[in-house]
Amino acid sequence: MFTSTSNRWRAPLVAAVFTTVALTAAGCSSSGSTAVPGATSTAASGSSDALYKNAIVAKAADILPNSTMAAIKKRGKLIVAEALDAPLLSQQDPSNPDSVTGFDADLAKLLAIYIIGKPNVEIVPPASETREALLANGTVDVVFNTYTITTQRAAQVDFAGPYFESGLAVAVKSDNKNIKSIDDLAGKTVIVGANTPAVTAVPEKQPTAKIVSFGTDPEAVQALTQGRGDAYVQDLTLLASDAVSNKAIKVVGQPFTKEAYGIGLKHDDSDFKKFINSWLVKIQKNGTWGKVWKASLGTVVDSKIPTPPAIGSVPGS
Amino acid sequence: MNVLIDHLGDVLGALATTLVMFLIAGIGSIVIGVLVTVARVSPIPLLRWVAFAYVQFFINVPLLALLVLAIFALPDAGLIAPLEPTAIIVLAFYEAAYVAEAVRSGVNTVAVGQLEASRALGFNQMQSLRLIVVPQALRAVVQPIGNVMIALVMNTALAAAVGVVELTSEVNKINLIEAQPIAIFAGAGIIYMAIALVIGVAAGWVERRVAIVR
Repeated sequence: MFTSTSNRWRAPLVAAVFTTVALTAAGCSSSGSTAVPGATSTAASGSSDALYKNAIVAKAADILPNSTMAAIKKRGKLIVAEALDAPLLSQQDPSNPDSVTGFDADLAKLLAIYIIGKPNVEIVPPASETREALLANGTVDVVFNTYTITTQRAAQVDFAGPYFESGLAVAVKSDNKNIKSIDDLAGKTVIVGANTPAVTAVPEKQPTAKIVSFGTDPEAVQALTQGRGDAYVQDLTLLASDAVSNKAIKVVGQPFTKEAYGIGLKHDDSDFKKFINSWLVKIQKNGTWGKVWKASLGTVVDSKIPTPPAIGSVPGS
Repeated sequence: MNVLIDHLGDVLGALATTLVMFLIAGIGSIVIGVLVTVARVSPIPLLRWVAFAYVQFFINVPLLALLVLAIFALPDAGLIAPLEPTAIIVLAFYEAAYVAEAVRSGVNTVAVGQLEASRALGFNQMQSLRLIVVPQALRAVVQPIGNVMIALVMNTALAAAVGVVELTSEVNKINLIEAQPIAIFAGAGIIYMAIALVIGVAAGWVERRVAIVR
């Protein structure tokens, strides 16, 4: 039928238009998505732009024989645990499921290029509760999942990095004038995302605050606007993007914690860890890291490219 | 298990929440379920139709969707209640549909002769339902209702997704700190299993007590 044919083309067309707009707005190209019909590997499409073309590839000598990287290279794809629903970090395009973009997703593709030469990434969406198990049983090679480095976790998995540093901030309804920072939350009801660092960080700062956790960020924002809590504590970048799209909430005060995100690896794989750390140093030095940040997280934060954290600078990394 | 023992206080508190949710929603669902069944076998067509629609609705809409709707959509309609009571009410209405189906199968086990006899003795419709049909129907379905109650305990875990701090939500939080998912979730699983076992054994005991020896 004629109509069904035209419908089939509508989704890719819309995606292409959106991509063009997004690229123009971002002023630089990183997260392009070309809808390639019949793309074989998930998230491997959308690799046509300059960032991926110029991405560095590891020297043959760096891929040690019988190492994890050699196994990945032989397999031809990198298996990554990353979210599909984290805006700016790793989000699947609803109109084009092959395109997963954001800070974590783009770095994962760059790592795949570094090892294999192509951005072949297979995504296994993890629950925060299963990341250690996915690494331990070899289901995934790496975890890119805003995985905060802690010493407890470092006993179970290895962390390369940190590759990004962020912090928890406080958001309130736009008409709230009483809460100006974390210090004003004593005895208040605080909304947090389930399985986020806020679950433990808020009680540490404000033991009298009542914590209510919701499964996803949109639910938490909805709960805040409906008055189920006085404040919503979440990663600053995520809150900033929420506040941009939703005028009913605003971010108050400065971040009150430092979260260092690491790349999760199987425990005791020091060769792989060294390999990834050296890759991180390389992409930080040649400016790729900054470009990826600018195209994703940088679109909602009104500041210049931050200084990437020093590798191994936190306990557990 | 060691990890959970380190956080014993939190785990017990959350377990109490789970059990309270189960008890209130369980009693509520049995009451609503029996009423729905009575409506379903009543001689009034409108009541029968409403009860049928009720059962079909709650059996065919996923519980998580109902919870999210009740927690996030009702406030937009001007109805806002605390999280835990809202979750308990949704659970009660949801499981009531399954209770109603179980009790209805029990009604079918009551012989037609019983109803005919009650009519011959001068019972009206309500009296025959209340005194003859429902008591015998319930005796026949103790074990199926026990199974619905076990499902209810498992379903309380879904409330974790909408902010209720019950057992699942709490062990999630512990895992976030301790990062030992296998030990922690296996431990939580054993707790749920123990609750299910207690309900199953209790249902078996009740069934033997109330069985009609013919």
